[in-house]
Amino acid sequence: MAKVELKNLHKAFGAVEVIKGVDLVVEDGEFCVFVGPSGCGKSTLLRIIAGLEDATSGGILIDDKDVTNLEPVDRGIAMVFQSYALYPHLSIRDNIGFGLSLTKLPKAEVAKQVEAAAETLQLTDYLDRKPKALSGGQRQRVAIGRAIVRDPAVFLFDEPLSNLDASLRGQMRIELTDLHAKLKTTMIYVTHDQVEAMTMADKIVVLNGGQIEQVGTPMELYNNPASPFVAGFIGSPKMNLFSGDIAKELGCTTYGIRPEHITLDSTGTWQGIVRHLERLGADTIVHLEVAHLGSALLVRAQGDIEYHVGQTLYATPQAEREHRF
Amino acid sequence: MKRRQYVIGWISLAVAFFLFVVPFIYIFLIAAKSAPEASRLAFSLPTDWQLLQNLIDVVQARNYTLLLAYFNSTLITVGGVTLMVIFGAMVGYVLQRRNTPWNRIVFGMVMAGLIIPPAVVPTIWVLKEIGLFKTIHGMVLIQVAYGLGFSVLLYRSFIGTIPRDLDEAARIDGAKPWQIFYKVILPLLKPVTVTLIVVQSITIFNDFTNPLYYLPGKKNVTVQLTLYNFQGQFTSQMNLLFMNILLVTIPPLIVFIFFNRQIVAGMTSGAVKG
Repeated sequence: MAKVELKNLHKAFGAVEVIKGVDLVVEDGEFCVFVGPSGCGKSTLLRIIAGLEDATSGGILIDDKDVTNLEPVDRGIAMVFQSYALYPHLSIRDNIGFGLSLTKLPKAEVAKQVEAAAETLQLTDYLDRKPKALSGGQRQRVAIGRAIVRDPAVFLFDEPLSNLDASLRGQMRIELTDLHAKLKTTMIYVTHDQVEAMTMADKIVVLNGGQIEQVGTPMELYNNPASPFVAGFIGSPKMNLFSGDIAKELGCTTYGIRPEHITLDSTGTWQGIVRHLERLGADTIVHLEVAHLGSALLVRAQGDIEYHVGQTLYATPQAEREHRF
Repeated sequence: MKRRQYVIGWISLAVAFFLFVVPFIYIFLIAAKSAPEASRLAFSLPTDWQLLQNLIDVVQARNYTLLLAYFNSTLITVGGVTLMVIFGAMVGYVLQRRNTPWNRIVFGMVMAGLIIPPAVVPTIWVLKEIGLFKTIHGMVLIQVAYGLGFSVLLYRSFIGTIPRDLDEAARIDGAKPWQIFYKVILPLLKPVTVTLIVVQSITIFNDFTNPLYYLPGKKNVTVQLTLYNFQGQFTSQMNLLFMNILLVTIPPLIVFIFFNRQIVAGMTSGAVKG
């Protein structure tokens, strides 16, 4: 249980500055997700919190204690890596108990805690196997088990689901959310996948180019994005964003409207021709070529709607759902 | 195409047999002959098989020198290879993982150790000055110095294939640097270590010139130097000499036969992610 505070954090590799002054508070027990495109510094930020990288300047407080210059082990954190980073030569039991075996804890106590963690993660039957004899999802659970036994104040996850297939990823998202509900520990989770961010987070931190773009709950970011970047990053399919003359005409520098906030009809604001239809089952994504906007407009329509390519349609944005930047 | 492969296969096997097995048979035959017959050095079956008697003669020669030589050689081999494995892995680990200006200097020295041929006379002078000349541990250090470059290079490239995440995971688990090395990295280096043990122990055990230069003295004899026992300016006992050759060839051969598979595994591991 701990609050994590980052104070004016900077990190440079040589002349390249990758973290450009980050101030952030992650409240006690919160599930906080760092999200952003590749190279935005989210993993580096997590590694600085973990203590695997040193910050060039600035400070980190965990539970009001300055840990900026402490070793990872003294910060009360546990980390789950993208590659799982299981020790290949050790059994699952020894993998989970590795950290505890380094402390002066009696062997029986270590065994008890390992069993308990394995129980939580349904790994009891696999304790004597080697990591290579497990599936991807099971390895991921072992990595989480290794973090749980250390009873950390803060869990750090570095893109833990990106090596799993889509269905398993969905399942693990639920398991992680359940785990968070059960442990009620502060968790910081890094991902480039906005779906993971939206589905799991209490608080999302959108990073771009080493700086925080916006902090908020998933629905805050969805409803009130602070910048075109956040607007384009959160939500799937992406928000339609227009700049230049069109935006000026609409009274802003960038105009945005989400695909689900446009209605298609035989009359309306923008005339366009259907170029492409993506049938997703429940929904159909219509790619509408609108000459007036100068580019394609994505519109989310009902799944069973009977449009065809080449058809002329009119699109109307829902007035209260428009975004002007 | 099939037929051609078949023919080429048989030809290479025949050549290999001629190059490697025939000399061995020749050594064995002469080692089984009586002294006068052996001195003719003919490739023929002995008329009078004296294998056991020759064996006893060789072992007993010069007050059981051969046994002392086996002891010395084993000591030098085990000591040298142990140090080479430990230091090679340590230096390789630091060179691969830590990025400091010192790395280039150390790596340069490692390469120099591989490239520059050792100079005997200055080495003897240094050994004398520090009191290690004519000592077994001096000889061990010489062998380590000669072989360390190769072992560092081998370890460094292999450690490159071990993901850094493992080090970091261990660090977060609370392992100190030496614990990361001994508990996580070293066990994963087993394939390379086996390769290194086999290759270097055969090299050191079979070394003739270095003990000849750096380890003179009756008490310091090594197995390869016992060959001098039966070869003089005026008389040579060919049957005993060849029996001696046979005896000193067998230990490396056994090591090689047993570890053959692991050597290939160690040489190729890291090439494909496993």
